[in-house]
Amino acid sequence: MPGQFNFKFSVVWESFPVLLEGVKLTILITLFGLLVGFCLGVAAGLGRTSRNPFLNRLAGLYIESIRGTPLMVQVMFIYFGLPLAMGMRIPPLAAAVAAIAVNSGAYIAEIVRGSIQSIERGQMEAGRSIGLTHLQAMLYIIWPQAFKRMIPPLGNQFIISLKDTSLLVVIGVGELTRKGQEIIAVNFRAFEVWLAVALMYLALTMTISKLLRLLEKRLDISQ
Amino acid sequence: MIVIKDLHKSFGDLEVLKGVNLHVKPGEVVVVIGPSGSGKSTLLRCINRLEESTSGVVIVDGYDVNDKRTDINLVRTEAGMVFQQFNLFPHMTALQNVTLGPVKVRKIPRGEAEKMGHELLEKVGLADKARVYPDQLSGGQKQRVAIARSLALRPKVMLFDEPTSALDPELVGEVLEVMKTLAKEGMTMAVVTHEMGFAREVADRVIFMDEGMIVEESTPQELFGAPRHERTRSFLGRVKGEL
Repeated sequence: MPGQFNFKFSVVWESFPVLLEGVKLTILITLFGLLVGFCLGVAAGLGRTSRNPFLNRLAGLYIESIRGTPLMVQVMFIYFGLPLAMGMRIPPLAAAVAAIAVNSGAYIAEIVRGSIQSIERGQMEAGRSIGLTHLQAMLYIIWPQAFKRMIPPLGNQFIISLKDTSLLVVIGVGELTRKGQEIIAVNFRAFEVWLAVALMYLALTMTISKLLRLLEKRLDISQ
Repeated sequence: MIVIKDLHKSFGDLEVLKGVNLHVKPGEVVVVIGPSGSGKSTLLRCINRLEESTSGVVIVDGYDVNDKRTDINLVRTEAGMVFQQFNLFPHMTALQNVTLGPVKVRKIPRGEAEKMGHELLEKVGLADKARVYPDQLSGGQKQRVAIARSLALRPKVMLFDEPTSALDPELVGEVLEVMKTLAKEGMTMAVVTHEMGFAREVADRVIFMDEGMIVEESTPQELFGAPRHERTRSFLGRVKGEL
C-alpha cells in the first residue's frame, strides 16, 4: 500500500562506488563511440554531399541501413553475429564502442550534410571566384560556417547516444544501467537505485548541454 | 582580354544563351544591359566558369576557360567577380575576407597580404572597417569589401554581376564611385547592371541583350541616343518609365 513502503536511501550511498564505476564506463563508451562516430559522420556526411556517385551511394547505404534498424539489433549483431562470420570473439567493450560509433555516425552524417547544404550557394561561388579549389573553399569557407550550425543538433545526438549506452546491458557491459541492475539483484531496492541511476544520467547529459553551449558561445564571435 | 565565340548555354531544355560573340579589349569598360532573364548574368558567369558553357569558346587572358587542361583557379584569379548578393564570408573580418585569396591562392606571406589588404580597404573607403565582421556593415560597405576582396588577387579584368541591385537606393552611389575609380585607373571591366547612368557615364561600349542574344552594341551615346533596334528602344523606354 502507498505510504507503507520504507524508503532507504542509505543503499544508494552504499552502492555509490559501484554506480560510479558504471558512470566511468558509460562516459568511456560514449566518448570513444562519439569520437569515432563523429569521424564516420563527417566522412559519410561529406560523401552525401559529394558529386561522386560511388561515394554518394556508399554513404547513403550506410546512413539508411543504420537509421532503418534498431540499435538493439545492431548491438546484438556486432557482438553475437559478427564474431561468427569473422571467426573471432569481440570483447564486449569494443563491441559497445563500435555499436555507438556506427549508430551515431549515421545520424551525425545527416547533421553534417544538412548543415553544409544550408550554407548559401554564393559562399562556395565566392570562394571559387577568388581562385580557391573546391577543397580549400570547403575547408576555409563552408566548414567553419556549417560547423557552427551543427552544434545544436550535434548536442542532441550526443545526449541520445549517451542514453543509448544503457541498451548495452544486453551484451553485459558493466555501464551504469548494468551496475544498477546488479545492485538491485542483491538488495531489491529498485526505487532508490533506479532513481539514483536516472539522476546520474541526468547529470551527464546536462554536462554535455553545458559544454556545447559554451562551445557555441565561443564560436559566436561574428553572428 | 576576353574573347567569346558562339557561346551557347542551356539549363535543361531552356536555352539561356543562343550564340553570343563578344570581344573585350584590355582597359575597356563594357556594360551589359537588358531585361531580366535575357542571359546577362549567365554570360558573365560563363566567363569565369561558374557556369559550364554548353558550347562555344571563352578565352580570358589567353586561357581557354572550357579547356580541361586550363587551371581554372588561375583564370579565376585573373578575372575577379563581384556578386549581386556580395557573398562576403560572414565568419571573417573585412580584412580576412580580403586577405584569404592572396594568402591561400597566391601564397603571399600573411604580413604582406595584410598590408595590401589595408591599402585596398582604404582604396574603397573602408580603412577603419578592417576588423569589422560583415554583419556590422551596410550593404554598400559590404559590396565595397567584396570589390576589395576581388582586387586583392590583382586581377586583369573585373566582372560585376548586378553589383548594386541588392542595395538600398541611397547606398548605390558609393559602390558606383568605387567602380568609376577603377575604370579611370584603366581596369578592364565587364559590368551587368540596371544603372543606366553608370553605363552612360563610364562605359566604352554598351551591349543590349535580349532572349539570350546580343541585340545591339555600340557607344553609350549611340545606344542611348539613337538605338537602332526596336527591342532596344522599347527596353530603354520601359527603363526610363521606371526612373
